[in-house]
Amino acid sequence: MRAGTKLLALCASALALTLPAAAVSQAAELRTNINADPAMVDPITYSELIAGDVMANVYEGFVGLDTEGNVIPALAESWEPHEDGLGFRFKLRSGVKFHSGRSFGAKDVKYTFEQLLIPGNRGGLNAEYLDTVVGAQAVKDGKTTDLEGVTVVDELTLDVRFTKADVLFPIYPFYFMDAGIVEEHGADWATKASAGTGPFKFKAWNLGRDVQLEAFADYWGGAPKIDGVRFLIVPSGDTAVSMYEAGELDVVYVDTQTIRRVLKDPQFKDEMLTAPAAQIRYLGMNQNLYEPFKDIRVREAICIGFDRDAMVDGLYDGAAFPLYGQVTPGVAGYNPDLPAIPYDPERAKKLLAEAGYPNGEGLPPIKVTDTEPNKNDITYYANQFSSVLGMPVEVEIVERGSHIKRMNAGEVPFFPWGWSAGYPDALYFLSQVWYGPSTYNRSRWQNDAFDALIEEAQGTADAKARYALYNKAEKILLDDWGTCPTTVRMQVALVKPNVEGVSLTPFRFLPFGDAQVTE
Amino acid sequence: MAAPSTSQTARPGSDFFLRFRRSRNAMIGSVIVAFVVLMALFGPLLTPHDPVKVNVLASWRAPDSTHWMGTDALGRDVFSRIVLGGRVSLIVSMSVLAVTLTIGTVLGMCAAYFGGWVDALVMRTVDIIFAFPELIFAILVAAVLGPGTLTVIIALSMVWWPGIARLTRSLVLGLRHEMFIEAAIVSGTPAHKIMRRHFLPNIVAPLIVRASIGVGFIIMAEATLSFLGIGIQEPEPTWGAMIRDGLSQLRTDPHLALFASLALGITMIGFNLLGDGLRDVLDPKVRN
Amino acid sequence: MIEYAARRLAGLLGVWFLAIVITFVAVQFVPGDPIMALLSDRSGDADLEARLRADYGLDRPLPVQFLDYLAHIADGTFGLSFRFANTTVFDVISGGLLISPILAITAILIAVPLGVVLGVFAAQRANSWADTAVILGLVSGISIPNFAMAAFLVYLLSIKWSVLPVAGWGTPQHLVMPVLILVIPPTAYVARLTRTYMLEVLQQDFVRTARAKGLRERLVIYRHALKNTFVPLLTTVGIIFGGLLSGTFVVETIFNIPGLGRLAIESIFARDYPVTMTIVLLFTMFYSIINLIVDLAYTALDPRIRLTNTKA
Repeated sequence: MRAGTKLLALCASALALTLPAAAVSQAAELRTNINADPAMVDPITYSELIAGDVMANVYEGFVGLDTEGNVIPALAESWEPHEDGLGFRFKLRSGVKFHSGRSFGAKDVKYTFEQLLIPGNRGGLNAEYLDTVVGAQAVKDGKTTDLEGVTVVDELTLDVRFTKADVLFPIYPFYFMDAGIVEEHGADWATKASAGTGPFKFKAWNLGRDVQLEAFADYWGGAPKIDGVRFLIVPSGDTAVSMYEAGELDVVYVDTQTIRRVLKDPQFKDEMLTAPAAQIRYLGMNQNLYEPFKDIRVREAICIGFDRDAMVDGLYDGAAFPLYGQVTPGVAGYNPDLPAIPYDPERAKKLLAEAGYPNGEGLPPIKVTDTEPNKNDITYYANQFSSVLGMPVEVEIVERGSHIKRMNAGEVPFFPWGWSAGYPDALYFLSQVWYGPSTYNRSRWQNDAFDALIEEAQGTADAKARYALYNKAEKILLDDWGTCPTTVRMQVALVKPNVEGVSLTPFRFLPFGDAQVTE
Repeated sequence: MAAPSTSQTARPGSDFFLRFRRSRNAMIGSVIVAFVVLMALFGPLLTPHDPVKVNVLASWRAPDSTHWMGTDALGRDVFSRIVLGGRVSLIVSMSVLAVTLTIGTVLGMCAAYFGGWVDALVMRTVDIIFAFPELIFAILVAAVLGPGTLTVIIALSMVWWPGIARLTRSLVLGLRHEMFIEAAIVSGTPAHKIMRRHFLPNIVAPLIVRASIGVGFIIMAEATLSFLGIGIQEPEPTWGAMIRDGLSQLRTDPHLALFASLALGITMIGFNLLGDGLRDVLDPKVRN
Repeated sequence: MIEYAARRLAGLLGVWFLAIVITFVAVQFVPGDPIMALLSDRSGDADLEARLRADYGLDRPLPVQFLDYLAHIADGTFGLSFRFANTTVFDVISGGLLISPILAITAILIAVPLGVVLGVFAAQRANSWADTAVILGLVSGISIPNFAMAAFLVYLLSIKWSVLPVAGWGTPQHLVMPVLILVIPPTAYVARLTRTYMLEVLQQDFVRTARAKGLRERLVIYRHALKNTFVPLLTTVGIIFGGLLSGTFVVETIFNIPGLGRLAIESIFARDYPVTMTIVLLFTMFYSIINLIVDLAYTALDPRIRLTNTKA
């Protein structure tokens, strides 16, 4: 039998030898995975995570992150708030070159902002950060292409004015682009040229196969030590880890379904990077759509009616933490002192009985809704609430696009969901998910005191004072059981021993500018 | 020695069983199929655990004396789920067979008997569906209807009935000019009677052969749709989905994909062997 | 003959048109809205939604959208992809256009001869243990789900022995495992068919005569019998192709091959209808052209069949 397998292996390797040599991996190219094609590779329409993974290596904003996930200056060297608090003056970094060789300056920032807002351009996620800029609406409406509130003072000085205070503006993750690129390459430049200042230049995108970046020798932070980065498109997380195991990938971002395989296999122990994801997860309860949710006792019963620790161990193999607030660790303004939310089925039953639903009697049927990849989570919730609380809960698996539309419209009564931070400040979570007027307030929880605190925080430049406001607002949300915080996932990545300088932060990988591949 | 290929009545008489028993493959196949069918019918009554009961504290158990095939990500008993999954597979395949045999034979007979525009209409429809590769058409239908058990049944029925219709039509055309049919037509027997009394009994054997071979295809197609994520959905267990979920845990918890693959594989072997055997026995052209 | 071919080709054009109509109508009913998939978190922004609908021509009546699609088929762009910003369907599919056909053709070139050899082998030893073993082996081959077999092969050949790449496309090595998986069902199909036809042919008079004349067994089988099984085998090539094209959907997904099969599945999930419709159309065209060629070849050979293969 053993001789047989050996023979087969021999035959197979002989076959492999007779075939033309495989594309020999270049020693200094870093190969990593993304789980789908990016939807775009240009900084204007940019609107999704995978495109962000690629583009973070090509484009930069005012600030960047260090290896701990803290904000550090990037293309802006410094900034000063205006006297009235309604704007900033940015001093930009000198000596920064675009991939085209042109110098980076204030005109490029203004150009980027305008391009994001011009209606025909379909500006993506970054356009939302410009809402408070003076004149943004006029550009959005197509009345002008000149953004009034942004002034080029001199080559490296930029003035931005707001209609209302926006203290976090400098840390918004913009991708500044080369104002000369369209003139040089035409409107469809995005897949032909590279318009950023980042450590890598866009080289090629082979649809369904890979996106290739090459090192930018004139990078202001020093030329990368590798020749380039190749993002291989590998939809299955399991396949990606197998490719890593077989030496076809150097760095792998492990998807949640494959974390178990990585954690259980001792060979990966010394090659693993972990960091909590900057993503809050919660169980949304829409009080407008399900009468019993209006009773705070019912909301509390639900929040203490499932076992976060069991979920962490059973569903996520320990690659998660219980979450007791609505800000994640590693994000500025996180409150580490929040009390744990216990799993207390007895109290939950008592609360339900007090609310008039002893053993769940009288509760109308309800569905807990999510998309296919999270089917295990909702199966757990449904099972838990029906067996512990006697609540008639059923599982509903839906298509993602229409689910998001219904959630944004406030039409989903009961759903677990998450929200990933776009920049490292608690305001991102609090102002987008729980602030009354926000579209992303998907369970439509509303509290005037909370909203007032958020508005105050948006105008509070002092970080300490602002964090205090966050904590106060968060407490209002939690005391009202306006939401059930659930868990924070742990991100897991694998890095081959011959690769150095790869950092995983709560905001996924840092750009690979410091990476090194040795033989 | 070789029987006339248009034997007027395919009587599966006593020599059917004799020949059937002599076919080794058919015997192995029928034993497996009998086992699978019995498990699907009575298994769910005997399984020790509730196949949809979640217990995350007991997830990922390796096989032991309580959970004979271990537990899955949510702590559900794999053995119970496989038994129930078998029932789902059989319900789907039997439903598809029932639907396609009914539609296929009726339309096929009508096309052959009436000819003209009826024939043209039926056969052009058949041609169009045949123009799509089978699974691709099923995927399209499944995508339109959204995932679910009924979807899978409809999708697979839509790709499978044209084959039956075409087979029926060609068989009936072969009979059309037989003396006894001509006689019946001349004597004014109504069409539905001719079809029921004269056509049907004479085409039953090849249809059975076709159906028995088709079961394997249907079960595998159902598993493939589930594997691709557009088949039957949770919490209903299906082998295809169990294999898909299990494959990503192949290294840590091989029991998940292994037992489901075995169940699917053994069932497929059973139906394939039975189909082959029935063809050898019932098809008058191959007797040796 | 030429007239027959022309008539069939005209018929095909009609079928393709209907296929376009059917897929177009079908995707209208797929649950989920492409614009919602595109907007993702931002859905609810009515201005943006309206602008996107206008950009993709989705704000116009369905018949107009259909004519639009026909025009885009005619100009070869097949319209704009929903999933990829500012990209035509042609640009989306062109990179992987030949992959599924290459896989299918490679598989069929291996499967048919292999299946014939196995079928003849089994037929010669009909109802012996060797026959049973071959049939049982083939049946097991098609019974083990291909996605499970693929995972096993990857573990063995890529991870344990490192002789073949895990996944991807681009070198001949990448072809080995996918083709291996694809080859099994058609091989089994051809082998069983060959066995059946061989058994049938071997009973016929001319073979007995040939045998009686003292010709060597192998010569009898290959010269006479096999020649007679060739035509019925030919007619099944079309069916085999259909199966292989479907097989590429699964194989490309498992081995992460950037062909049209994987793209079709991704497009369905991403609600990228123009891409989905185009791939279905291309597969349908490819499949029906193969079937047409088979039919023409069959018709060309037809007279000879009637002469030799007299009805029993």
